[in-house]
Amino acid sequence: MTRRRKSAAYRIAFAYSAAIAIGIALLGTIIFWAMHIAFTRQLDAMIEDEVQTLIIEYRSGGEAELRDAIAQRERLTQQGATLYYAEFEPNGRRVFGSLNTAMPALGMHDIAFVDPTEGADQARGLAVELPDHRRLLVAADREWVEQIDRTVLVTFTAGFLAVIGLGIVGALLLGGYLRKRLRAIGSAAEAIIGGDIRRRMPASGRGDEFDQLAGVLNAMLEEIERLLENLRQVSSDVAHDLRSPLSHLRNALEESTAGSAESREQVIADAIRRVDEILSLFAAILRISEIESGEIRRLFKPVELSALITDLAESYAPAVREGGRSLTWSIEPGLTMTGDRELIAQAVTNLLENALRHTPVGTEIHIDLASSAKNVRIAVADTGPGVADSDWSLITRRFIRLESSRSRAGHGLGLNLVAAIARLHQGQLSFADNAPGLVAQFDLPRS
Amino acid sequence: MAEFVARGLDELGHNVVRASNGVDALHLATTEPLDLALLDRMLPQMDGLTVLRRLRAAKIETPVLLLTALGRIDDRVEGLEAGADDYLVKPFAFSELAARINALARRGPINSPPTKLECGPLSMDLLRREVRRNGELIILQPREFRLLEELMHNAERAVTRTMLLERVWGFHFDPQTNIVETHISRTRAKLNEGGKPDLIETLRGVGYRMRPCDEA
Repeated sequence: MTRRRKSAAYRIAFAYSAAIAIGIALLGTIIFWAMHIAFTRQLDAMIEDEVQTLIIEYRSGGEAELRDAIAQRERLTQQGATLYYAEFEPNGRRVFGSLNTAMPALGMHDIAFVDPTEGADQARGLAVELPDHRRLLVAADREWVEQIDRTVLVTFTAGFLAVIGLGIVGALLLGGYLRKRLRAIGSAAEAIIGGDIRRRMPASGRGDEFDQLAGVLNAMLEEIERLLENLRQVSSDVAHDLRSPLSHLRNALEESTAGSAESREQVIADAIRRVDEILSLFAAILRISEIESGEIRRLFKPVELSALITDLAESYAPAVREGGRSLTWSIEPGLTMTGDRELIAQAVTNLLENALRHTPVGTEIHIDLASSAKNVRIAVADTGPGVADSDWSLITRRFIRLESSRSRAGHGLGLNLVAAIARLHQGQLSFADNAPGLVAQFDLPRS
Repeated sequence: MAEFVARGLDELGHNVVRASNGVDALHLATTEPLDLALLDRMLPQMDGLTVLRRLRAAKIETPVLLLTALGRIDDRVEGLEAGADDYLVKPFAFSELAARINALARRGPINSPPTKLECGPLSMDLLRREVRRNGELIILQPREFRLLEELMHNAERAVTRTMLLERVWGFHFDPQTNIVETHISRTRAKLNEGGKPDLIETLRGVGYRMRPCDEA
């Protein structure tokens, strides 16, 4: 029972049937009072009419006529009519009529009288003054109104009790049903917590709210499973990418214990370089996850894109030339956008460095900045060996390094970072064939 | 970590006092006349940023070098906005820390930034953007000028590659390509034209330094 009291399903079902029962009770009360008042008024109107008639009798024929009329009516009363009459002297003594009651005040009241057969009873009576300060009282038994009141009361009490009874049964059934449906979802969730991550929420197939909820939860579970899979992939990739530099490092350090002091210094310098590479791998992973969280957007500021790209091109030209390649650029002046200057610089830097790293000596690299109605496009083109178009979607994935470039330095995160930076700015990274070579196109929305 | 840094700085001849939590750090920085404060962002009891904000709120303008394990972009912005003079992400090379400490400690309060820099035969006019060696005008590209300016500001002190990337290019990331190296070598070539002795010294694994100004 305590579990039921805690259950929201039961609580809602009970509250609902209680609300209906209260509604019925209210309705009954209103109807009771409305009928009671209406019938009482009807009774009053009947009495007033009778008094009017008797006064007309009195005026036309005086005291004798009045008493005659009353006597006549009282005979009829014996046959089932409901009106009673009494005439009082100013001293309060009843002088005529069979209504056994004390002299009342003037006007319409509830009065008590003694019924010859039933004893003390309640009635509605109107007292008017006749000449000589005598009073005429006409009363009607309330029995009739009371009977109607009783009927209404009994009907609605029965209805109220029936609603409560039905409500309790309905609430138990509805609550049990809701609990059953919810428990099915809950036990599926518990199974998932328990490690069965392939388990899904059950659906009844009726397409109701519970099925919709189960559908949404299942979609969420799919997404979580995909992310977990992704995470597992990334962590195994990280572990894989770390194992070879770390084991190289370990071997080099182990060998140096046997070598001379000078060679040891060389090994230490080497070790520092290798550790730096590992640290830069971690920095890149952290940077990508920071960018993907999108929180940097609040730091966005206007960026003078043309100036930034020119600056980058000019900064890189000497290094590119030293590497035996050439760098040219064509930059549309005056372009600006809203974003993170450094991240855009890093994206372009990565594209440039990719063009440097994966091409032979003699390659021509060209940077182009141009705008269309909606976008600005930074294109980095090279005349190197290019990338097969089937691999274009592959090379932006995390840790993907094409077989042809496995031997070269790099952690396989460069283009993934560029794609993340593009997404952060609501832009995108795409590739095209430069025939020969590759064009990386970095599109950003114009501000 | 703090002990390792303290020992290293002590060996370099600095006088180091240490606080092991944020409250002590704030107390130390407000009561001791420090030349420079090294502040970790994550400290027990009171975090480094709060310490920094309170220091600045108390009008204590001791140069602060903020250390952090968080390399996030917004953390850096937050740190500098809170009043840090420089920012270094852990893990860092000790030589990097030493170079930045030297650069900060000598900077002192910037009342009026100099308009002329001199070192030995070399003079820079920062307003007219001119460089002269023994009075002879040398034409430098804007980036090369900024590079030389940074070295001259820190004359006789090491300036690391990352410091140059940050201050000349505004990059807080590390490009794989040696843009600093190529710019240094072009600047060098222009300064030393005609076989004059080299004024910029390369410190292997650290960065660059102007040769002692009274030497050349």
